[in-house]
Amino acid sequence: MAEGFRLRVCHRKSGRLRFLSHLEVVRACERAARRAALPYAVSRGFTPRMRMSFGPALPVGTAGEREYYDLTLTRYLPAAEVCASLTAVTAEDLAPLQCGYVTAREPSLAAALTIAMYELSLEGGIPPEELQGSLHGLMGDGTISVEHKGKQKVYDLAEALPKEPEVTSAGDRTLVRLAVKMGEHGSLRPEVLIRSALGRDIRAVVTRTDLLIDDEGVWRRPL
Amino acid sequence: MSDLWERVQPLLARVERPSRYIDREWGAVHRPDAAYRVALMYPDTYEVGMANQALQVLADRLAGLDDVACERVFVPWTDMSAAMRAAGVPLYTLESCLPVAGCQMLGITIPHELTYTNILEALDLAGIPLRAEERSEGDPLVIGGGPSAHNPEPLAPFFDAILIGDGEEAVLEMVAAHRAARERSATRAETLRDLAGIEGVYVPSLYVAGPDGALVASAGTPERITRRVLRDLDAVSSPVCPVVPYADVVHDRATIEVLRGCSRGCRFCQAGMVYRPVRERQADAIVRDAIATLFCTGYEEISLTSLSTADHSQLEEVLRRLFRRFEDADVAISVPSLRVDSFTLSLARLLGGGKRSGLTFAPEAGSQRLRDAINKNVTEDELLETVAAAFGAGWRRLKLYFMVGLPTETDEDVVAIGGLVSRVLAVAREATPPAERGGLRVAVSASTFVPKAHTPFQWEGQLPAGEVRRRQSLLRDAMPRRGVELSWHDAETSFLEAVLARGDRSLADAIEAAWRAGAVFDAWSERFELSRWTAAFESTGIDAGARAHDPFAEDETLPWSHIDSGLARSFLLAERHRAYEGIITEDCTFGDCTGCGVCPALSADVVVAGGGRRG
Ligand code: SF4
Repeated sequence: MAEGFRLRVCHRKSGRLRFLSHLEVVRACERAARRAALPYAVSRGFTPRMRMSFGPALPVGTAGEREYYDLTLTRYLPAAEVCASLTAVTAEDLAPLQCGYVTAREPSLAAALTIAMYELSLEGGIPPEELQGSLHGLMGDGTISVEHKGKQKVYDLAEALPKEPEVTSAGDRTLVRLAVKMGEHGSLRPEVLIRSALGRDIRAVVTRTDLLIDDEGVWRRPL
Repeated sequence: MSDLWERVQPLLARVERPSRYIDREWGAVHRPDAAYRVALMYPDTYEVGMANQALQVLADRLAGLDDVACERVFVPWTDMSAAMRAAGVPLYTLESCLPVAGCQMLGITIPHELTYTNILEALDLAGIPLRAEERSEGDPLVIGGGPSAHNPEPLAPFFDAILIGDGEEAVLEMVAAHRAARERSATRAETLRDLAGIEGVYVPSLYVAGPDGALVASAGTPERITRRVLRDLDAVSSPVCPVVPYADVVHDRATIEVLRGCSRGCRFCQAGMVYRPVRERQADAIVRDAIATLFCTGYEEISLTSLSTADHSQLEEVLRRLFRRFEDADVAISVPSLRVDSFTLSLARLLGGGKRSGLTFAPEAGSQRLRDAINKNVTEDELLETVAAAFGAGWRRLKLYFMVGLPTETDEDVVAIGGLVSRVLAVAREATPPAERGGLRVAVSASTFVPKAHTPFQWEGQLPAGEVRRRQSLLRDAMPRRGVELSWHDAETSFLEAVLARGDRSLADAIEAAWRAGAVFDAWSERFELSRWTAAFESTGIDAGARAHDPFAEDETLPWSHIDSGLARSFLLAERHRAYEGIITEDCTFGDCTGCGVCPALSADVVVAGGGRRG
């Protein structure tokens, strides 16, 4: 039964707090909701839990400009009011940016969000043309094989990269913008892609700039 | 001064759990422009240190001062310390990300012996000379305090001053004295003399060994340092907005101290001796601060802590009020380590609502004879009744603590632990509905007796490690197999604890040698290596075996004789002899004063929230 009011919160994970793990972000958001004294719904069961669910996890070290979670409230409160009370009790680098209600029938964030937009800022003065060329070559190969926890995982690049990555330079740093398709079995990590393209280790600040819903080819934000 | 963040940040991509090193938690207080900075350090990782309540209390006290910044410091794990050394990044405080060496005061908790090398590691990473005598005017004052400060000698050369006892008032006085000394441009030596004038403050450099080896106070300093005691806990409010960590720390919950001290009088227990007298907080204050803490932090659990929470004379009232307040909320209220005899059926029912955490009891010994000898005033019948009540009220997990190697222990006493655990298991099964009996578990933890300063057993030696291991295997054989998870402290670590706990100032060289050989995080079993320590003892001429095992003579000057914890020597001696005779001594919060000497010596008194005695 659909009960309560499903509030969707868009927040950032930036600055020093990009070093938090997904679990740490989850706990921090739960505690902020308690500090804000929101009328949040609690699951029934042996150990009651706040009804909060998150979009795809961000790894430790990766920043996010627009991350999402859904929180069920037992009482309707204007979304802007909730946003203001959350902002007052949340660290600036995890601050909520936008809140809005979604219908109970809407699929979960984890299922709905299938496109992740990234921006990588690379150190080391890599010439953009070189990287663009290597990426092009790699995509021509069709697949990349990645080692994850001792297992080889193969990604079909035509599937994983719905758009050709864009490479530009900004001062002594090289910027890469790309879109990654997220599947049920995880998604390609952008720094892994760049590493394979260049064939060497890189130092990069990675930011997930947006999370989108793919509506039959049309990409839109979940809020 | 510009902060170190730009140099710290690149290191974080390559270390485990970077959230330990980044600050910016909810509740962290930033005062970048303060004229006086205090770094408060817990000598272990962030996860362990953030659980320390004393640090939160002191930080809260310091936050009340004008123009003072109080910042946290923990010991970076080995991956981070290696990265910092390679990059030339010194140890920094979390809040301002400024070098610890630039603070005016560095306060270090001394929680237990296995953190001693961590203290040296931190000083070295900070670039502060290890020994007080090598420090110059610009270095921070390095101040120690906490449980293991009650025998300060093994660490004495590394500290400028050490506080003995409660810190709530003394920390403010020390900061004030230091600020005043700076105002008038006093030298470091003059400043330390001022600090020595504060009750409870020990300045090791003012005490040097006389011809017979005993420490002699220099002119104008008290012969003995009297422990500091906070007479009324309610005079200082509990910190209601402590820092809320992101990382999953050891006790990831809000805490509120409901009472300090325990006068049950277990004869091996240092905490039960050196935190006397018992001082309870009033129920109203506890409930008020608990609610405020939950709101300010957003924690999902609050723990009512103390050495012996179930002894609080108003605990049931407090729990009833808190449960009523948080009915239907996803907030848990918990009570750590319960006592068998004060855990009543009504408590079992009350706490049944919050039974996420298992039950913990510490019978310590398997036989009544040995329990009488150590003054653990609990009978087997009481334990079994309590277990039946708890399992009847819905608990399914139980942890029992025992100790091996206690004075007067025989093989029969060790074997008796197995029998006791079997009977506990049987009673627990009986009280559990048949369908749930499968998952029933009793965790049994056996530690090794370590003789501690200021206890009736301070004169005792520790059993040799070989004998400890023999008794541990006796214990394993006597333990029922099904439904029991047995764990014990490794005999080698306990040996090191005994050497350090009973040590004098000559141990400092060995601690430094062990650290130089790579000893750090000794409390982490994957890091501990006894060989580093044996080599260190050898190279510094310490007969470690004798230090751990040889009893002290009753008329000997003990390494901690100059520390006056308030306990009368005659009381400790009498208690030792009563142990041999198997005579128990009652708890003075329930009956009459038993003459330990603390109240008259420290002009303090037992504080029972409801007035009068408990009972
Ligand atoms: S002096 Fe007496 S009342 Fe005070 S703690 Fe000691 S035994 Fe208890």
